[in-house]
Amino acid sequence: MNKGNILQGPMGLGLMVVSAIVALAAFGYAFMDLSSVGHRSFNTTSQIPWGQPIATYLYFALASSGLGMIAALSLVFGFKQFLPIAKRAIFLSFVILIAGMAVLAMELGYVFRMLWVIPLNMQIQSAMFWMGVFYVADLIFLLWKFQKMEGQEWDSKTSKQIGIASFLAVLLASGNLALIFGMMSMRPFWFDGLMPIYFYLTAVASGLAAVVFFTYFAYGFNRAAMPERTRAMFEGPMPKLFAAVLGGTVLFIAVRAVTGVYTNNPEISVVWREFLFASPVYQASLWLGIVAPFVIMMIAGLRSNPSMQVLVSIAVFAGLFAERYFFVVGGQVVPLFRGTWEWGLIQYTPSMTEWALTIMGSAMLFALYAAGERFLNLSDMPAEPAPEGATAAA
Amino acid sequence: MTKWGMVIDLDKCTGCQACTTACAMENNTLPGENWQDVLYYSEGSYPTAKLTWLPRPCMQCENPSCVAVCPTKATYKDMDAGGIVFVDWNKCIGCKYCMIACPYGVRFYADEKPVVEPDVRDVFPGTGQLHAPPYQGPDSDSVRGIGIQPKGVVSKCTFCYHKVSKAPEGVADLDEDNPETKEYTPACVRTCPPKARYFGDLDNPESEVNRLIADQRGVRLKDHTGNRPQVYYLGSGADVPAYQSPKKS
Ligand code: SF4
Ligand code: SF4
Repeated sequence: MNKGNILQGPMGLGLMVVSAIVALAAFGYAFMDLSSVGHRSFNTTSQIPWGQPIATYLYFALASSGLGMIAALSLVFGFKQFLPIAKRAIFLSFVILIAGMAVLAMELGYVFRMLWVIPLNMQIQSAMFWMGVFYVADLIFLLWKFQKMEGQEWDSKTSKQIGIASFLAVLLASGNLALIFGMMSMRPFWFDGLMPIYFYLTAVASGLAAVVFFTYFAYGFNRAAMPERTRAMFEGPMPKLFAAVLGGTVLFIAVRAVTGVYTNNPEISVVWREFLFASPVYQASLWLGIVAPFVIMMIAGLRSNPSMQVLVSIAVFAGLFAERYFFVVGGQVVPLFRGTWEWGLIQYTPSMTEWALTIMGSAMLFALYAAGERFLNLSDMPAEPAPEGATAAA
Repeated sequence: MTKWGMVIDLDKCTGCQACTTACAMENNTLPGENWQDVLYYSEGSYPTAKLTWLPRPCMQCENPSCVAVCPTKATYKDMDAGGIVFVDWNKCIGCKYCMIACPYGVRFYADEKPVVEPDVRDVFPGTGQLHAPPYQGPDSDSVRGIGIQPKGVVSKCTFCYHKVSKAPEGVADLDEDNPETKEYTPACVRTCPPKARYFGDLDNPESEVNRLIADQRGVRLKDHTGNRPQVYYLGSGADVPAYQSPKKS
């Protein structure tokens, strides 16, 4: 059935082995550093406690939520055109969250202590407590849903209910993750009641980037090799959805930037003017990683072109990673008290160890994904779509 | 119930950093940790330049955001201990969310290890507590974050709870000039050469801290965040200037 899927052959095995080696090497490097010199191997400080590993976790967790929402299009809302990627999206959502959690685990002071202190103390006031609850629920439902799909149970009542539960868990998890930042009145750059909406939008954007890239990857970047329904999806509904979501993202960033640049509050305006817009990396990621992909996807002649779709997905991948990084660091660069210790913005560039963690997470994702393509039939979909009009879309 | 509070008179403070040093000595803080420090600001330029400074301990907020965000209840406000906010080092997982949430930047995470670390118990066998090097204070209490900060957890000022907790019951002020309370006064207060710091019970109408706050219009820093510090500032200089880009000043 999946003759065109190159990752089921030696290619997939190669990818799996190489990525696993890279992940292990990166883990080994970070582990050595952390156990020999401790957290000093990070460039974070007491002034800027959350650095790139947290941004990486945030990026992965949100991409996972985005993938969950994309899967819900067909599994919960009955948009059958998106069925061909539902299983892959669910699987990717699961493994990318695992990779994100692995990175987060390396960042914490005590990982294993968490397993008993959090449930025993029930600090329900803390958004971070709920982050744990919702993301664990999310993982369980994703796994459960995937298992149903493996058992070819696409349409049963339980399968549908698990689909809905999984969608709700995704919404709660990513919305709550947004509030971890959005509720911090002492960090005005983040303090924003609309943060969950912003996170939902960008989550779907990164999820789309992931699913487009990885689906093309499975078929050797050759759309002709795809099953017919998958191909049809990439010719019509998928690029349109991508365009719409990127449009929303551009709009949201623009609104935040305009209020940010013009506000009198230095903890917001200085961040936009002197940290974000002053950085060539931010500029590049914004224009090449978000705005340009949006423009490409808006042009009808370009958006269905396979190479353009792959290019856009890679650009959005990178662009949103940078967005997350600048978001996390941006909330902390203005010192809480400008004074002797910091006259200007707090300087931070990720260390080698911090990069190693980002590489570890990414390589883990590739390894798990390759394993998924190889051993689980990720291109699977229900046999035939029901005749038009005969379905009772939930 | 006792509610410990501190008053810092900025008109008296000379910015000498004696408090900072006393705190570091008293609490064995690690390099990079300043449970108490003095920040200096300058505004404007010659001939109208203004130099101000701000001694800054943990404010032991009445409504502490660090407590609300901590996912493990490692950070907690102990009303029986006069409303002091503690970090339970046995519960902290080092997520650093409390550091993000504290508006005053008074929490520290110093997780450094030398590549080769001799076992300090062999180097300095000591005599007192088992497993405690001689320079460790005798009162260490990891449930209250008192003692030398272990790796992987967050630390902060405890208002010298190991001293304050031994004060006679019901006392209104802890004053270094009073022989009865001198030993129980927090190190920074006791050391302050111009006596710019006062320490007492905010719930006791008789206390000096209450009198000073009322008579001299004590203010709390960044009150808009809703944290309601138990540390009050008097005098000019409590108006911490807003952040401004150094390029423009
Ligand atoms: S000053 Fe910061 S650390 Fe101290 S109680 Fe208030 S919020 Fe917590
Ligand atoms: S770092 Fe420790 S004290 Fe701070 S929020 Fe996390 S668990 Fe709580």
